[in-house]
Amino acid sequence: MNCDELERIFLECGQPAAQPLPADADEHAVTCLACKQLLKAFRLPSAAETISSTKLTRLAATLAADLLPTQPLAPMGCYLMAFAGAFASIVTLGVYGGGTGSFSAMSPMQTVSILCLLSGSASLLAWSLVLQMVPGSRHRVRPELLSAAVIAFLSISVIVLFQFRSEPRFWHRGWTCIQAGLPFALLAAAPFWLLLRRGAIVSPRATGATAGLLAGLTGTSVLEVHCADLDLLHVLVSHFGLAALGALGGFVVGGAGEVFGRYMCYRSDRHRMVNERA
Amino acid sequence: METGLLEKRAPVRPPTDLDRCMERYQQADPEAPATLINALSPALLRFFRGQSASREQADDLLQETWMRIHRVRHTYRPGEPVLPWVYAIARRVRVDGYRRTRRVAIHETAMEVLPESPRRAEGRSSLPDFETLIAALPETQREVITMLKVGGLTLEEVARATSSTVGAVKQKAHRAYDKLRTLLQLRIEGLPQEEEHELR
Repeated sequence: MNCDELERIFLECGQPAAQPLPADADEHAVTCLACKQLLKAFRLPSAAETISSTKLTRLAATLAADLLPTQPLAPMGCYLMAFAGAFASIVTLGVYGGGTGSFSAMSPMQTVSILCLLSGSASLLAWSLVLQMVPGSRHRVRPELLSAAVIAFLSISVIVLFQFRSEPRFWHRGWTCIQAGLPFALLAAAPFWLLLRRGAIVSPRATGATAGLLAGLTGTSVLEVHCADLDLLHVLVSHFGLAALGALGGFVVGGAGEVFGRYMCYRSDRHRMVNERA
Repeated sequence: METGLLEKRAPVRPPTDLDRCMERYQQADPEAPATLINALSPALLRFFRGQSASREQADDLLQETWMRIHRVRHTYRPGEPVLPWVYAIARRVRVDGYRRTRRVAIHETAMEVLPESPRRAEGRSSLPDFETLIAALPETQREVITMLKVGGLTLEEVARATSSTVGAVKQKAHRAYDKLRTLLQLRIEGLPQEEEHELR
């Protein structure tokens, strides 16, 4: 056995430091001083880790004092359905109010592609949100990377699907679309927030960005079905820009929530210290 | 880029006593909190100590972690491994604690120079212990190594606790291990001949 093989065994065994490694690993450690010292350092217990049993008992008593049975979270599928249901309902509401003007302007290929892209992205984001509600969930892609990847992928798809057309009053038309889509994005944010509150969020900014992107995509979907302007820049900036704006808004709100939570914690700590001194 | 799409699924441990204990905790078994606290607190404390927290801070973080676990215990899914769930919460508490400490430190003015805390005597001949050794690593690598080797989490569980992928965790652990070995090698080379012989 050499140093690399020992490293592989050492890292993959995932056992606490006190548990033994295979015999041939120990044999290698006899000949390699660096490996021997490294294993020794990991095996030795630290003096700092001892905690007084009184402290632990007191902590356990505090937790047991207001112990009530809790209802575990519903299965993941239920939350996924809830997110997808909220998304679909609000898009339907928007389409019912605004109409399906873009279907007559787009080719069948563009229509199918854009609908598949939007529903696929929304499903991915909803699934990621469901995972983010439970700490220690298995993420196939990091949540923050997923949001960025969805924005990038949608942008590239729009560039491939649509073409430049010189449209007069670009900013005016763009602002009109953003104003039309924003209420639906805000409307979608409310049920998403209510659902997320049931979980425990360990990364508020990443979760905020994902939820904001999904809410923004709700508005984008309404615009994509309603707006007949197929200029590439208009679709990219005014329709999909709304989704990116939602992600940014969610990120900021998540960050603000994090700071507020810490501030409240800081205040309660100070309050406790003042009481203790009194 | 860290993507786990092409990764093989790492082996998952069968449910342990701790997992069942967490389920009992959700069902309000009064014995469950004490069992969990006694089983997990030493490793959690070492996790906080390993992230450069003082003993006092680590104690506070440990207490805060248990309070938060208590508040969000309904989010544990029965049948899932409990360690990644606990460490994901502990990680969040550590980040919050670090930022809070920094905020307090900004507003505090030192009145007098505090005496230096007594450090463990580290003579020329002694090689560093675990805490000293991992202090040389970047934060993310330190966190991964501590979870793997102190918390006893598997690579898959560390990936879950850090919202990362097994590939990314493996890479960090490999880099950390490499760095530590090089560090020790350099230290050993700097020792006099007789002390090196003594270590062998």
